[in-house]
Amino acid sequence: MRIITDTCSECGTVVAANELEAERIMQCPGLSCDAILRFADLPEDARRYFLNHHDEYEL
Amino acid sequence: MKGVLLSGGTGSRLRPITHTGPKQLVPVANKPVIEYAIQDLKAAGVTDIGIVLGHKGRTAIQELLGDGSAYGVDITYIIQGEPLGLAHAAGCARDFVGDDDFVMYLGDNILKAGIVDLIESFDAGEYDAGIALQSVDSPQQFGVADLDDDGTVRNLVEKPDNPPSNLALVGIYVFSPVIFDAIERLEPSWRGELEITDAIQLLIDDGCDIDSHVVTGWWKDTGKPVDILEANRLVLEDQTPEIRGQVDSGAEVTGSVEIDESAVIDSDAVVRGPVSIASDVNIKPGTYVGPYTSIGSNTTLANVHIENSVVIGDTTINANERIVDSLIGRGTTVESAAGSLPEGRRLVVGENSNLKL
Ligand SMILES: [Zn+2]
Repeated sequence: MRIITDTCSECGTVVAANELEAERIMQCPGLSCDAILRFADLPEDARRYFLNHHDEYEL
Repeated sequence: MKGVLLSGGTGSRLRPITHTGPKQLVPVANKPVIEYAIQDLKAAGVTDIGIVLGHKGRTAIQELLGDGSAYGVDITYIIQGEPLGLAHAAGCARDFVGDDDFVMYLGDNILKAGIVDLIESFDAGEYDAGIALQSVDSPQQFGVADLDDDGTVRNLVEKPDNPPSNLALVGIYVFSPVIFDAIERLEPSWRGELEITDAIQLLIDDGCDIDSHVVTGWWKDTGKPVDILEANRLVLEDQTPEIRGQVDSGAEVTGSVEIDESAVIDSDAVVRGPVSIASDVNIKPGTYVGPYTSIGSNTTLANVHIENSVVIGDTTINANERIVDSLIGRGTTVESAAGSLPEGRRLVVGENSNLKL
């Protein structure tokens, strides 16, 4: 299964796509980091893959 | 070599203690469990550490560990979110790990011997993975390894009816980056998770060499209250005694005891080690603190007999009672009901608590 992540450019915190997709737009979960992370910022092929295999990314 | 420390999970078997925080922060001998893993990684020369966080305790773990500088390591946080299995957690660390080898360590495990030997054994050959094993009495309940004579792993079997050995998988692994390709080829198991044992089995099927290392000394997964007490006992047994606090002249302190400099042991109190007493603790007259007990910071004990127990902290106990084999959560008050009518216990107990009266 492809595992897709994004890395916050401000603090280096890595966030899994399932988290990004659930929130769509979120404040970076890195402590005291104000960066905004978006599912839409992932590459298009990663987003498409994730949405096509959505069931595998939830328990 | 990098480190990936898994710190997700709901901690459901440790409720109610984990209603308010992650299981990796439950203290053993007055130190959060996860700090033992960080120290083991650092002792093995692994200072670049990714910590994989789930939903629970994200902020609390980051607040405790920060950027790692207080521990002499460099920490990157990796948010897994949904607990999709150990292989998914490892996969989330792919960008962090890059082209390095890495050791993966479950953040609620403690082992006596550390991980230096495991890493040295892995580094000594051209291995793609290394697994830590330990002899167990009932291999039917574990993931079990089938080994060649030289210790190379032939096969892994989950909870086998006819175990090929009594060597169970301990939650510590070393991987080369080829594991990420194996993880990408995995499908979720029947329980919807990406299983790390399936990923290792794929490597075996590909003809990769998998090292094994049998862990000497104890290993503890601290998932349940009884495991916390057992880990506490094992760690206290090995502790270096150090009495820095105030021990009044009429107090009796014997055995291996660690007392923080701000703690006070009053006259007519007895402390019999192995015991750990944290900061701002006051053991008042008439109190007995017996072997294998840890008393967390900002706690006052009076008149009580307590042994083989963990008091997490911010607690007051004042009752002429015996407390044994107990795990007492933060902010607890235990007082005597003597003289109160009608006679009986008076309890305010959190959800999922477990009492034996
Ligand atoms: Zn950030």
